[in-house]
Amino acid sequence: MDFQALLDCFSSASCVVTQTTGGLISGMLLFLVAAGLSLIFGTLKVVNFMHGSLYMLGAYFAYTIYNLTGSYALAVLGAALGVGLFALIFERFFMSRVYGSDVLMQLLVCYGFILILDDAVKIIWGAEFLSMGMPAAFQRPPFMLAGGIVPAFYLFLIVITLAIALALGYLITKTRMGKIVRAAAINPTMTSALGINTALVFGGVFALGGLLAGLAGALAVPVRSLVSGMGFSILIESFIVTVIGGMGSVAGALVGALLIGLVRSFGTIGFPLFTEGLMFVFMTIVLIVKPSGLFGKEL
Amino acid sequence: MLKIEDLRKSFGGVAATNGITLDFPQGSLSAVIGPNGAGKTTFFNLITGAFPPDAGRILLGGENIAGLSAPEIVRRGIGRAFQIASIFPSLTVRDAVLGAVNAHLHWHAKLARRFPLAEAAAQTDEVIELVNLQARANTLSGNLSHGEQKLLDIALALALDPKVLLLDEPTAGMGSEERWQMIETVYQLWQRKKMTLIFIEHDMDIVFKYAQTIRVLSYGSVLAEGNAEEVRRHPKVIEAYLGAHFETAKS
Amino acid sequence: MKQASVGRDIALAVGAFALLAILPLVFPNKSLADFVVRLSAFAVFATSLNLLVGYAGMVSFGHGLFYGLGAYSFALMLQKLGLSVPLAFLLTMVFSALVALVIGAICIRLKEIYFSFLTLAFQMLLHSIIIAWTAVTGGDQGLTGGLPRPPFLGIRLDDPRHLYLFCCAIMIISLFVMWHLVRSPFGYTLRMIRDNPRRTAFLGVQVWRVRLLAFVVAGVFGAIGGALMSLFVSSAYPDFAYWTVSGEAVFMILLGGMSVFLGPTAGAAILLLLNDTVTKLTEHYSLVLGIVILLFALGLRKGLLGFLVEAWSKRGAQTSAPATASRH
Ligand SMILES: Nc1ncnc2c1ncn2[C@@H]1O[C@H](COP(=O)(O)OP(=O)(O)O)[C@@H](O)[C@H]1O
Ligand SMILES: [Mg+2]
Repeated sequence: MDFQALLDCFSSASCVVTQTTGGLISGMLLFLVAAGLSLIFGTLKVVNFMHGSLYMLGAYFAYTIYNLTGSYALAVLGAALGVGLFALIFERFFMSRVYGSDVLMQLLVCYGFILILDDAVKIIWGAEFLSMGMPAAFQRPPFMLAGGIVPAFYLFLIVITLAIALALGYLITKTRMGKIVRAAAINPTMTSALGINTALVFGGVFALGGLLAGLAGALAVPVRSLVSGMGFSILIESFIVTVIGGMGSVAGALVGALLIGLVRSFGTIGFPLFTEGLMFVFMTIVLIVKPSGLFGKEL
Repeated sequence: MLKIEDLRKSFGGVAATNGITLDFPQGSLSAVIGPNGAGKTTFFNLITGAFPPDAGRILLGGENIAGLSAPEIVRRGIGRAFQIASIFPSLTVRDAVLGAVNAHLHWHAKLARRFPLAEAAAQTDEVIELVNLQARANTLSGNLSHGEQKLLDIALALALDPKVLLLDEPTAGMGSEERWQMIETVYQLWQRKKMTLIFIEHDMDIVFKYAQTIRVLSYGSVLAEGNAEEVRRHPKVIEAYLGAHFETAKS
Repeated sequence: MKQASVGRDIALAVGAFALLAILPLVFPNKSLADFVVRLSAFAVFATSLNLLVGYAGMVSFGHGLFYGLGAYSFALMLQKLGLSVPLAFLLTMVFSALVALVIGAICIRLKEIYFSFLTLAFQMLLHSIIIAWTAVTGGDQGLTGGLPRPPFLGIRLDDPRHLYLFCCAIMIISLFVMWHLVRSPFGYTLRMIRDNPRRTAFLGVQVWRVRLLAFVVAGVFGAIGGALMSLFVSSAYPDFAYWTVSGEAVFMILLGGMSVFLGPTAGAAILLLLNDTVTKLTEHYSLVLGIVILLFALGLRKGLLGFLVEAWSKRGAQTSAPATASRH
């Protein structure tokens, strides 16, 4: 524990800026993954245990498309759509077959997929760490803010993920589709009796969740290195985020993800050995004080 | 024995129980009646500690048990069976009742010894016999018929040898003949054990025939109470009947 | 009343131990002995998880936490503290019980999938602590330098034959104790809670207390499994605490069948065999395992032993489910 370092950081504007932007981008990436996880759980009452693998796939898809075409925009788009489609197939042909059975079977199907995807990535892209580097468009001098360095890509990332967060919030609360999704979550048989195709809704939600995870993976590629199995830690963090924010709540996922991002970012300075532990302490406190999460309704 | 004083509970603004005051003397057999949604099940839930009341007292032999947890209340001698039979599908009838009898053991007995304990056998046999399930003792509870599951639910409550027994619609979902059979079984076990028995029932013929006293609930309040004759003549009850709120049979 | 005597069970346990003891004499094959030693660790570990999953209906997906914890605390007590084997073993059990008590108190409040994930999250916390705390744990290299295994009571664990017998004995004793527990009134209370926790509470049982006790008991035996493995490899690695350990244990109990007491042991044996066979043929063990898991999850569900026992006992009216199946 190094409180002195933490105090030093807080008394220097540049350090605060650097750590905050770093925390914000981790938080926003985490939000994209956690929002999908939360959405899927809210609607289907299923925790997509292989959600982290979708993030990993997104990263590798983007990496390959970028190397082939040289266009980062295309890479992001292709990765998001590709992973969305993959998630749809996964839901329709595998996950939907174990909705009726207990949690154990759902966990098992996801577990099988994680193993397969991790190994498949190793076979296709190799077992070594890969890194793509900064796309050409963002290779420009960083912005300076109060002495702190803010790379251009960071700014782009924060802006685009915030826009997605707003769009998602709008989609869920204001549109007809959002209403259907929320209705299906409350009472699937009722909605299907009303002539709404629940299979379509479930598949759609899974695809949307996959799209968000793929997007997160693609957006992470310039600032993270790629390796088989990289999805698992973000899965655990996303889960912690949804516990803190409340399962099924997009706003909760945003707040939770930003909190975790910032806690981690400043935690590495103050408690380098206990950064992970810090998240758990945080989560445990929330669980004890408000078991349904900050924005959750009930468990 | 069981005294309820000004018991209140609301769910998000809806007063499910709106100041109920009732007295159930030791060894009495009472019925609680009232239209659907009158708060009868909520009343039982409050007595058994499913959730704490907003206000009011529940006195069991002088002790206020309001606010205690369900297991604590059960251990003080209040057993209950549920409107929808609540059983253990993967256990045999016998094992389920044995398990219920065992529930009161101390920790060392639970960990150090083998199930079933010899001293639980007599109580188990008696309880199974009380509800006439001897022939089904080795059947998986999940494979029982609806009526048998309701009987098993009662047997589970009896396993604790309760001083007060609460039965939530023991005849729910039964045909006419089965219903009379069920209530006869309940009546006989009350005669043998002489506990304070309270049952919720929709069939007025059954209620008027068996209950010593009848409490009519409506919108969370006590509309009327008394014996069959008094309740039958009570103007408010007649009104409620004519208001067609009363369901005499539930599908 | 089928009140099987404890005496008969002890005789069975002794018999099983005797069989295992003469096995290497009949088949003097090093890889067979190694297999049994590894099996002892996984059998105890998987069976302990089944106390939660199969008997109590608590689907922990982070049980590997205790496997890793047991392996590391046992190994560190031998290596860094220089304790004797029995003392280290005992302290490992006490320590893991305490950890299980704290983590269990947090986790058992939650339902179903939340419980699964929270246990998993805590396991990953341990994993990251092991990776980060290099000074003590050796980080991602694991513990180097081997474990000192001072002789005690004439047992020299440096001798592979002694190690073999020791692991077999611990396995048999652990399985025996767990067998006893699932057949105790406590074990039946677990089944009741699994079937219907609400009804169990209305029978006077403080459900959370029973669940917590089950979590602690399972944690202690899970740690014993880990300790056995660290004894075998003479080290401890971060992989012991990685989430896949939990996944494998879950698969083991499903593979063997969680409705039969020895199902997880059978599942452990099958998965170890599969592992040994596949790793000989290809380096893509995960891929193969993943496919096997999918085939299993979408096809055959009852588990192998569960399937056999059910087929065998389809004579009486009282079949299926641990309640009765485990009585054979
Ligand atoms: N757990 C609960 N949460 C919210 N509302 C409840 C709950 N239990 C009962 N209610 C409400 O309280 C009222 C009384 O219900 P209940 O006691 O079940 O009636 P009865 O058993 O007489 O048919 C109903 O309006 C019901 O919707
Ligand atoms: Mg009712």
